[in-house]
Amino acid sequence: MSKRQIELSVNGDRYVLTVPVHATLLEVLRDQVGLTGTKRGCTSGACGVCTVQREDAAAVLSCLSLAVDWDGKSVTTIEGLASPDGLHPLQEAFLELGAVQCGYCTPGLVMTAKALLDRSEAPNDAAINEALAGTLCRCTGHIKVKHAIRAAIQRTLETRDRDGTTG
Amino acid sequence: MARRAEFSVVGRDQVRLDGADKISGRSVFTDDVRLPGMLAGRILRSPLPRARILAIDTSRARRLRGVKSVVTAADAPKLWVGINQPLLSGDVVNHVGQEIAAVAAVDDDVAAEALRLIDVKYEPLPEILTMKRALAPDAPTLHGKLKNNIAWEQAEDHGDPDAYFAAAAHVRSDEYITHASHNCYAELHVAVADFSRPDRLTLWSPTQTALLFQKSLAGAFGLSESAVRIMCLNSGGGFSGRTATRPHHFLAALLSRKAGRPVKIRANADEEFLMCRAGGRVEYRFRSAVDQAGRLTAVEGDLTFDCGAFVESQMIILVLTSSYLDSLYDVKATRYRGRLVHTNNLPYYFHHGGGLAQFQFAFGQHINSLALDLDMDPIDFHLLNAVEKGHTTLRGTHYASCGLKECITRTAEQADWPKKHRKRGPYRGIGIGIGAMASGAKGMFKHDTSAAFIKIAEDGRASLFTGLPDMGQSSHTAMAIIAAEVLGIQPTDITVVSGDTDVAPLDVGAFTQRGTFTTGNAVKNASLDARRQLEQVAAAKLDVPAADLEFRDGRVYPKGQPENAFDFGKLVFETLHSREGRFVMGRGFYNSPLLTGSMAYSFGAQIAEVTVDPDTGIVTVERVVAAHDVGRALNPRIVEGQIDGQVFSGMSQALFEETELDSGQVMNPSRLDYKMPRAFEMPEVEHIIVESIDPHGPFGAKEVGEGPIVCTMQAIANAVADAIGEPITEMPITPWRVLKALSRRRG
Repeated sequence: MSKRQIELSVNGDRYVLTVPVHATLLEVLRDQVGLTGTKRGCTSGACGVCTVQREDAAAVLSCLSLAVDWDGKSVTTIEGLASPDGLHPLQEAFLELGAVQCGYCTPGLVMTAKALLDRSEAPNDAAINEALAGTLCRCTGHIKVKHAIRAAIQRTLETRDRDGTTG
Repeated sequence: MARRAEFSVVGRDQVRLDGADKISGRSVFTDDVRLPGMLAGRILRSPLPRARILAIDTSRARRLRGVKSVVTAADAPKLWVGINQPLLSGDVVNHVGQEIAAVAAVDDDVAAEALRLIDVKYEPLPEILTMKRALAPDAPTLHGKLKNNIAWEQAEDHGDPDAYFAAAAHVRSDEYITHASHNCYAELHVAVADFSRPDRLTLWSPTQTALLFQKSLAGAFGLSESAVRIMCLNSGGGFSGRTATRPHHFLAALLSRKAGRPVKIRANADEEFLMCRAGGRVEYRFRSAVDQAGRLTAVEGDLTFDCGAFVESQMIILVLTSSYLDSLYDVKATRYRGRLVHTNNLPYYFHHGGGLAQFQFAFGQHINSLALDLDMDPIDFHLLNAVEKGHTTLRGTHYASCGLKECITRTAEQADWPKKHRKRGPYRGIGIGIGAMASGAKGMFKHDTSAAFIKIAEDGRASLFTGLPDMGQSSHTAMAIIAAEVLGIQPTDITVVSGDTDVAPLDVGAFTQRGTFTTGNAVKNASLDARRQLEQVAAAKLDVPAADLEFRDGRVYPKGQPENAFDFGKLVFETLHSREGRFVMGRGFYNSPLLTGSMAYSFGAQIAEVTVDPDTGIVTVERVVAAHDVGRALNPRIVEGQIDGQVFSGMSQALFEETELDSGQVMNPSRLDYKMPRAFEMPEVEHIIVESIDPHGPFGAKEVGEGPIVCTMQAIANAVADAIGEPITEMPITPWRVLKALSRRRG
C-alpha cells in the first residue's frame, strides 16, 4: 500500500500525517486526526454530511477529496467553529430555531451554510437553496435549517451595522 | 394566556438538551466508536435473486494476511434472523444481497480484499419477481409448505358489510399501488459488536428499541438478556426502520466472537439499499358504501403486500392497516383481507409512516373520489363522517380525546379551501388528507411498559434515567420537560442518562409513537415519587400539609404564597443533611391498562396546493397547511419540527421515492439516483397545533412522531387529481405517471 506524508492544518492545528494515497480527507480527519464531528454518509458526494471548509472558505465534500491533495493546506471542520467566546452565530441559530434533530447531517449543514455566509454578503433564499442542494435531511426537510440560516444572516448584518464595521 | 399560568415549563419552547453537542460535532454516533483492537467487518452477498449454492471456498480469504475471522453458514447453523431466514445461507439464496459469508480483518481494505477471494459457485434457480407470479398456481414455492407463497394472511370483519353494500345509495371501488422504497437515513447502517468474552456481548448500533435488540441477540446466541448490553447514544434517524435487528448486527457479533476482538460493520452507499429494506410493493383494493345522506356505512379493504424473500415482522403491517379502516370515520361495518406474499425481492420492513402513510395515500384518494362522486366537497364529507371525542370504533378503540374535526376546519380555513377547491385553474390543484395515529400500541408483549428513575443531587440538579431512544425527535428533552414541570425546576437542571441497557430502566422503545405518552407517563410518575419525598420535609419546614405545596421556578412554597418559598436546591440539601439522611430517588413506570391498542390517539389534517407542468409532468408542491392534534404541545417548536420532517418525508414518498428493481436487483442504489426533495423543492409548512388535552397523556400530551405523515401523501395526491382532473393511482407520482394520466385524458 503506497503511502505519502502530508502536512495538514486542521482548525489551525498543524498535523504531519502519513496517509495512504487512496485515503480520503474524510477518512484522515476521522481516523487519523480523530475528529469525528465530520460525518461519514453516502461516501459518494450525494448527501453532504461530510462537508468541510477549504482555506478560501469554499465548502468541500471530504468524502470525495483525496487527503494527499491537502498537503500544505488548511481545513476547517465543525469542531473549529466555536470560539472561546461561544458558539458561531450559525450554531446558535440552528439550536434556537430547532434546526437540529437527529444531528447526523447537522455538521455538514452548518459547514455548508458557513461557506455560503463566508463567501457572500447577504445571500438570498435562492442562494441558500442552491447551497443546500447538495445536502439531504429527512428529519427537518430543511425548513428550520433555512430559518436558521436566514436568522444567522440577519444577526450578522445587525452586528455589522451596530459595530459600524464593513464586511 | 391561561396555559402560561398553568405550567412553568410545559408549552414553552425549550432548546433540545443534546443540541449543543450535536451542533459542535461532539455527539457520538456508532461509527464514531473506536475500541482497542477493533476489526473491520464486511459481508459477502448473493448477486442472484434465487440460486442453489453448490460450493463456498473461503480458503484463500482465510490465508490473506490481516484476516482475523471468516464465517459461513457452517459457523452459524442454528442462527435465524427471522421466521424463515437463516443468518447465513449455505444452500439456497432467495434474494439479491442475501448474506452468505462475512469476514473481519485489521482494516476495511483487507476485509474488502478478503471478500473478493471467497469463491461461491451458484446454480441459478427460477425466480419469482412479482406477486402475480408468486400467486400463480404453477409458481415454485419459495418456502417449504407455504401455499401460493402466501406468508401470512389476515381476515377481519366487523358488523355486516354485505347488508350495508346491498342497501347503499352509492358504492365506489378503486385500486392503487405503492412501490418499493427505502428509508435513506443520514446515518447508514452500522454496528459495532464486542463479543471478545463469550459470556458478554456489547453492541453499539442506532436503534429505536434497545430492549428488542437485547432480546433478539440474547436469543440467537444463547445468552441471558442481561449478558447483552446495547449501547445507543445517538441515532442518525429512525423513520420506522430501526425497530428490529438485521443480519449485520448478528454478523458483527459472530465475527467478534470468533476473532476475540471487537468488530465494526458499516454499509457502503449501494450496500445500504440491500441492508436496509423498507416498504415493498403493495396493491390495494377498496370498496365503500354510502347512504342517501352521504354517510359512509361500510368499507372494504383488500391488500396484498410483497414481503420479499423472508418474513420477520412484516405481519404487523396487516394488523396496522386492518385497524385503519374504521379509525377515521364513524362507519357501521368493515371487511379487511390482507396477505403477505413471498417473492425473490428484498425482504421488506417499514418505511417512514409504518405502512399507514402509504395506506392512506390509497385510502385517502378513494374517499376523496367517493365524495366527488356524490358531488360533495371532500371537507364536508370528512366533517359529516369524522370520528369525535368519546367515539368507540368497531374494533373497540376508544377516543378519550379527539381534535380531528378542529384540524379539518382550521386547515380548510387557513388554506382558503372553499375559494380554491376545483377552482384553481388548469394544472393547479388543492387536496386534503386526514389521519389518526396511536400514541403507543400494546400487542407485542403482555406489557407495554416504560420505566424511569430520577435522582436528585444535593445541588438540586436531577439525573433522569430512561431507556427511551432519541433518534432526533427530541424525546429526551420532552422527558426532561415533564420531570422539570413536576419538580418545579428547569429542563436544563436535568441530565438525561440513556443509551446503555446496563444503566437504563426497561423501556420497550421509540416506536408505535409511544415515547411522549408512555415513557412520558413513566417519567411523570418517577418525578412525582421524588417530589413526594421532598414534600414530607418541606411540609414540616413550612408547616403546611403536603398537598398544599407548590413546586415551581426552583422554589417550593405553600400554594398562593410564593413569598414564603423554600429554595428547591436547599430543600434537597436539607433532606439529605438530616437525621434521616434521605437521598432523593424517584421511580415510576407506566403500562397501558388495555390488552391491545392505545389509550390515546392523535389526529391531523393537511391541505396541499400543487402545480403540475403539463409538458414535463413535474409536480411542484407550493404550500402545505398542516394541523395536528397533539393533545398538548410540550415543546411547541419541536412539535413544528416533527411536522416539518414528516411533511418532507411524505412529499418525498408521494412524488419521488421508489426503489427500482430489475430481476431483484436495486437499479438506483445511490442518493443521486434515488430521488428525495432538495431544499429548493420544499415549500414552507404552515403549522396549526391543536390541543385536545388527553385525559391520560402526561399533561395531556399525545404523539406527534408519525401522525402528521399519514396525512401528507394523500393530500398531495388529491391535489394532483384536482389539478389534472384524474387521480394518479400509483405512488410515487412521478412525471412519467403524470404524463401517462394526461395523455389518457387527452385520449
